[in-house]
Amino acid sequence: MKESFDGYSISELKDLISEHIGAERVPKNLNVYTDTSDFYRVDYDDVVILGGKPYLIRNNEREGRFGIDEQQKFWVKRARDLTDGSVKIIKFVFHERFEAKVGGIVFECFRSPRKEARILDLTKDHPRFMHGFSVTDVSNNIIRIIDFIKGKTFADFVLTLGKNHEDYYYNHFPSVLDEFIELTMAIKFLHEHGEKHGDIRRDHILKDSSSEISRWIDFDFNYLHKENFYGYDLFGLGNILVYLAGRGDVTIQALKQNNSSVVSSLVSDDMNIIFNNRVVNLRKVYPYIDESLNYIMKHFSLGAETFYDNTEQFLHDLMEARTNIGKT
Amino acid sequence: MNKKLNKNRNILIAVDGSENSKRAVLYVSEIINGMEGFHVTIVHIISIPPDDYFVSEVEKASWIGTKSLEGNKILQEHLNLLLISGYYKEDVETKLIVKECISIAECIIEEQKNLNCGTIVIGRRGISKKEEFIFGSTSNKLLHESKDCSVWVIN
Repeated sequence: MKESFDGYSISELKDLISEHIGAERVPKNLNVYTDTSDFYRVDYDDVVILGGKPYLIRNNEREGRFGIDEQQKFWVKRARDLTDGSVKIIKFVFHERFEAKVGGIVFECFRSPRKEARILDLTKDHPRFMHGFSVTDVSNNIIRIIDFIKGKTFADFVLTLGKNHEDYYYNHFPSVLDEFIELTMAIKFLHEHGEKHGDIRRDHILKDSSSEISRWIDFDFNYLHKENFYGYDLFGLGNILVYLAGRGDVTIQALKQNNSSVVSSLVSDDMNIIFNNRVVNLRKVYPYIDESLNYIMKHFSLGAETFYDNTEQFLHDLMEARTNIGKT
Repeated sequence: MNKKLNKNRNILIAVDGSENSKRAVLYVSEIINGMEGFHVTIVHIISIPPDDYFVSEVEKASWIGTKSLEGNKILQEHLNLLLISGYYKEDVETKLIVKECISIAECIIEEQKNLNCGTIVIGRRGISKKEEFIFGSTSNKLLHESKDCSVWVIN
């Protein structure tokens, strides 16, 4: 009797690989999994059958984190859907709980497949988020199958704009800010539905090259909040805004190399409240930055007298600042 | 507890087991001691993390069990502080609240309303500006969000 995996025989699977990937790429020995509990076993050229569909596994995805670039994420695989050939990202169940330390502050973080599955469902029609769905494998693991987004990070895209900062600020930043406002509205949408993104940072926004729209990715991370449910998400948004306004991080080290007169005018209150080497009061470096925008950024500085409590307040000020930016 | 108790003489002390919350209890003891008609409820809140945090229901139940034991111990320690100071048992009670709180301050205010307390007492933790930025401050939130009740923040 022919061995069958969720209705697919080995020869049928090989035919599908041949059809969508190429006859020369069909593995001689095909490993097929329906249980992904031990995801370390699932390797390149294996097939995983999820929700009745076969997926051919390609490489592990990689991610930079906490200053360590290109860490392999063994639980996140690039894959090809063998029913239509489309590229997917498959995320297996990896429960992780650890204490993160950012700027000397320790907080408890955890990874939750259930959270990401919930957000994928919540945002399935929202253009500012990655799209996908979740299925359970034979051992009830919640697997997320995500549409691959082709494109560079929004942060990398921004670095390509403008001849210099002034050119960038006047000719490109208004549309970058419009994009960021849309992204902030998307986070507000999550918060209004009782969800956090959990890991807001600039490399978690991809500029989809097919639609030219920037979209949030990776929702499986979470942190145990204390008094302010939104605090860490807001911190992430603030960091991204400062990065966008500065056309990259403006660090004290870089300024020392390039412009000593600015350095002498900077005080500790001008720096990022957590990352103390990053300048937040950017008007001191780029005096043409609008005061209303600078006012928002200073909420994320060591000198801040007040903080944003929620995304709505942040968004309100952003939209007000937008009316002052890009005027000729 | 006497249901007809005057709200203004009904005090809630929120404690977390820290030295600051012990100071809050001792402060109340010194201020109120000897005066009749006051009632104190010492409240400890265990905020259950969201279900996403736990791998299984068994793990969640175990977490709640462990934290509840710790919480009851904290309450007993703070209760003893008041009893040693001369409070009568009938004028003091303790309450352990175990629930998922979006914010500890909001849970304290909810309990203040349930118990009809006119005063909330809490110890200030003295967190750094960075911590307040990321995590928020329970005492600040209480000061801003409480209505129809006094808030004592004890340094």
